[in-house]
Amino acid sequence: MKLTGACLLVCITALFCQSEVTAAQSDIALELPAIETSQYHRPYVAVWVEDAQQQPVKLIALWVEKPDWLKDLRRFWRKIGRSNTALVDAVSGATQKPGSYTLHWDGKDDNGAALAAGQYTLFVEAAREQGGRSLVKHEFNLPSEGAVIDIAAEGELGAVKATIR
Amino acid sequence: MFKKAAVLLTGLVVSASISAHTLWLVPSHYVLSKQDSWVSVDASAANMTFVPDKGIGLQSLKLYLPDGKVQDVSSVHQGKRKSMADVQLAGDGTYRLEMANPLRFFTSYELNGERKRLMANKQERTAQLPKGATKVETTQMRSRNFAYITVNSPTDTVVKLQGEGLEISSNVHPADVVAEENLQLVFNLDGKPQAGVKGVLSYEGELYRNDAGRIEFETNADGRFSFTPATAGRYLIEASYSADSNSALADKVRESVTYTFEVALP
Repeated sequence: MKLTGACLLVCITALFCQSEVTAAQSDIALELPAIETSQYHRPYVAVWVEDAQQQPVKLIALWVEKPDWLKDLRRFWRKIGRSNTALVDAVSGATQKPGSYTLHWDGKDDNGAALAAGQYTLFVEAAREQGGRSLVKHEFNLPSEGAVIDIAAEGELGAVKATIR
Repeated sequence: MFKKAAVLLTGLVVSASISAHTLWLVPSHYVLSKQDSWVSVDASAANMTFVPDKGIGLQSLKLYLPDGKVQDVSSVHQGKRKSMADVQLAGDGTYRLEMANPLRFFTSYELNGERKRLMANKQERTAQLPKGATKVETTQMRSRNFAYITVNSPTDTVVKLQGEGLEISSNVHPADVVAEENLQLVFNLDGKPQAGVKGVLSYEGELYRNDAGRIEFETNADGRFSFTPATAGRYLIEASYSADSNSALADKVRESVTYTFEVALP
């Protein structure tokens, strides 16, 4: 989850070494815009995948701090956060400052099982204390031969670009 | 002692005289992500939705815990325009705030061309009605004002019907009501869906719109009223059901509820 260059390198190396046994990784690049304001707090961010029945199947990233404000990631809270504490604890990491980040997803669900073929939706939600809330989403199909998702910047979120493999 | 009696008496007078007003309970939070959170509850009797008008006594305010147990709410303040209560929600689950008036009986009658009323049921009234009273009719009344609050994972215990009086059930849990998604509310009388329940749906911000956007409804044969909230926000349902009764205690029954809930962002 910590998206430093070193981590990225490790991930790439891991991918390279295991390319024969694991599915290719999807990359999700997202940007947290710098917002000029006197009281800037880092946004809470959740990135996850829902299936065609709008059921969450994979929580990819969760950047949060205090539990008090988890509910402000409204959809994330309703779909995942309020009822899956273990998953939240396992996935959550610290909030991030404005900048560009790349997340990796091995295409598996929260239990480590491969996802069935079908339609899915990538969700990215961000909420900032004394700021706004943004929710963006994009459908994709699995299996996906490198489909590219491109979501324009909106409010608390900069552009989201994902390559689903 | 005298003061307490006076307050109680005022409470009665107020509840009778503000019957044209709608009494609602609005918690500061309908959804919480932390245990032991405090919630402040606003209560008022008002014409305009969520614009407080008259503070009300909160002596009968109760908090139903996720396991079904009931707590009195002791931290209350009655203000001029609204009243406030503080409740702390210890564990996960869905809570119900409820202010219910127990069954009350009013007997109305006419004497020398003048309409009068006394608080008595059909059996008690014989002894109390003056000679020459005509057009005698006894109404059994009950009202219930409630709202649900959910801490972390939603639960169903306090959402289930109790099978008494007018109650509301729904196709989705109160913590799952979302803008742009259809919401079906079923109005139940004594545990069974009731057709002909009349109500009004309204939402916050009426003071700042020319068109209040209220929806008047009447439940269908399945006791249902369904609608799709266009916007997220806090909503109010006020509904009542009146019918003739052949009980030993009343000629008519009137059951009423007010229910506030939050419509979440998609």
